[in-house]
Amino acid sequence: MLEINNLHARVGETDILKGLDLTVNAGEVHAVMGPNGSGKSTLSKILAGSEDYTVTEGRVRLLGQDLLDMSPEQRAAAGVFLGFQYPVEIPGVSNMVFLKSALNAQRKTRGEPELEAGDFLAWVRHRVKQMKMDPAMLSRGVNEGFSGGEKKRNEILQMLVLEPRLMVLDETDSGLDIDALKIVAEGINALRSPERATLLVTHYQRLLDYVQPDKVHVLSGGRIIKSGGPELAHELEEKGYGWLSEQRAA
Amino acid sequence: MLNRDAYESAFARFSETLPAATIAPRRAALQRFLDTGLPGKGLEAWKYTDLSPLGAEAVAAPSVRGRPETPLPQFPGMHTRCWVNGRAPDVDAQAGPVETPSGEHAHDGLANLNAAFALPGIDLLLDDGASLDAPLHALFVTEPQGDGEMVHLRHRIVLGEGASATVVVHELGRGDAPRWSTHLLDIELARGARLRLVRLQDESAGTRGWFEARAAVHGDASLDMTQVDLGGGIVRNDWRPRLLGPGADVVLRGLMAPVGRTHVDSQFLTEHAAAHGRSRQWFRGLAWDRAQGIFNGKVVVRPGAQKTDSEQRIANLLLSPRARINAKPELEIYADDVKCAHGATFGRLDPAALFYLRSRGVDEATARALLIHGFAEAVLQHLEPAELRKAVVARLLERIGNEIDPEVLA
Repeated sequence: MLEINNLHARVGETDILKGLDLTVNAGEVHAVMGPNGSGKSTLSKILAGSEDYTVTEGRVRLLGQDLLDMSPEQRAAAGVFLGFQYPVEIPGVSNMVFLKSALNAQRKTRGEPELEAGDFLAWVRHRVKQMKMDPAMLSRGVNEGFSGGEKKRNEILQMLVLEPRLMVLDETDSGLDIDALKIVAEGINALRSPERATLLVTHYQRLLDYVQPDKVHVLSGGRIIKSGGPELAHELEEKGYGWLSEQRAA
Repeated sequence: MLNRDAYESAFARFSETLPAATIAPRRAALQRFLDTGLPGKGLEAWKYTDLSPLGAEAVAAPSVRGRPETPLPQFPGMHTRCWVNGRAPDVDAQAGPVETPSGEHAHDGLANLNAAFALPGIDLLLDDGASLDAPLHALFVTEPQGDGEMVHLRHRIVLGEGASATVVVHELGRGDAPRWSTHLLDIELARGARLRLVRLQDESAGTRGWFEARAAVHGDASLDMTQVDLGGGIVRNDWRPRLLGPGADVVLRGLMAPVGRTHVDSQFLTEHAAAHGRSRQWFRGLAWDRAQGIFNGKVVVRPGAQKTDSEQRIANLLLSPRARINAKPELEIYADDVKCAHGATFGRLDPAALFYLRSRGVDEATARALLIHGFAEAVLQHLEPAELRKAVVARLLERIGNEIDPEVLA
């Protein structure tokens, strides 16, 4: 579903990704772990189309389409969803307007009819309930005055409403208490299906207790330096990242 | 140089339509105008808006009759009264006597020009305890006419004790010809009276407009004003409310959104002349292209106006490299037990917010429009009913050339 080959990227004059290869098949959940500054967030943002980074080499394909040629909005319509590490506050634009604009824009790009107002409302309310959020939040500004945990929950709500094909979640578990973490995990699991793939970018094992990954990768120095099964995450939790770098150097 | 002949002959033509007894004071006002000329550089209050070079242009007397040529906007639940080229078609109102400027306005060029040519505009007088059945939508349409034609109007809103009213002053200009438009509004709110006032300025690009409102707000009375500047060529707005009794409350909100080469200069002077008054000045500016905006918000707290509570906030978005906004919140305090806050900010559209919207599938133009609308919403949300707000939003989006469906924002 997602194929990344030899991806090199930089911000300004600094190389961040230095030949990253990663393949995620439909139906799979992959976790990308790694120390601070290893390029995890860069990878997430590049997949969503951020213009803060320059891709200097390599290829990224989603369902056979070349993602790097597409604008952020085209990628979204093609099925990419990025759960932001730091969701943005947008005062004056309500969550409802935001969701409606996003869903209908994506449907339009895909050649699907826009949803009727009533159907849309019912759909959003259903998802709000699923995320155990207060429906009153829909008329508030996007993330305006939300706590860190509420913002992360709102990311998953948007994901449930938009139903993407590729879910890239950048440290969605940070800043969550244990109850919120469970709700967020349930949201992610609700969308697990043979037609979708998930990339969880995280520092910690704890989200992976609730969302079982099929594969775990360690990103360090701009490359995947080790891949394994779920047990790799436990090993990292125990030993940290140092032993991998040493192993590599040896 | 002021084109004296043009003003003289315009007045001669205009005075043919006047009752004989009213001509002399108007002529005196014209004379004072000719002595003073148009305001401009050299006057501190007109630092950013120099009208004096325009005095050389030709002018023409106001049309005798006007008829709207195109459908007029109406809003449900409101009573619309329409003036066309300064004349109200639904009454046979003669231009009668006009109070000439006195005191600090005696040497004010535009006030004298208005006094010489003014036609009757809004004249709303409510007795103690009375209220309007429905909000008044006072629509001033200017249809295409000859170059330099002038529309000058004089308005009055006087509310008795405890009376209440909602008034929408709506200026809608059509056509491209250069012309003059001045409005002078006097407001008097007796104890406990409440006035909600909306002003929509949507004049044509050739319009040189001046709008001045002076308000006397007595104890426990409240003035709640929202001004939206959407059009015009060279626009100057002066708001001068005075809080004259304890418990008086004045809220001034403003949104300006100049595009092209439009120049909008808004001056707000709130004067606290009594204790226990509350005032707010909340302004937002958006400027595109080579447009220029000026916000000058001043609050003066007179000696003895203790326990004054005032706040000024000005926020601006510059949407192109050549657009300019000058914003200055000013405070002058002569009392020692007051709470006064002020601040001004400037910025551009937040790239992080744009990317966030686009990452959800919203195209760039729509994302920009959503953010711009979101910024303006702080002022627009105070427009009622919803149809009025929608009409303003649609006009705002049209001005910025975006085809986003206003229904999406409803």
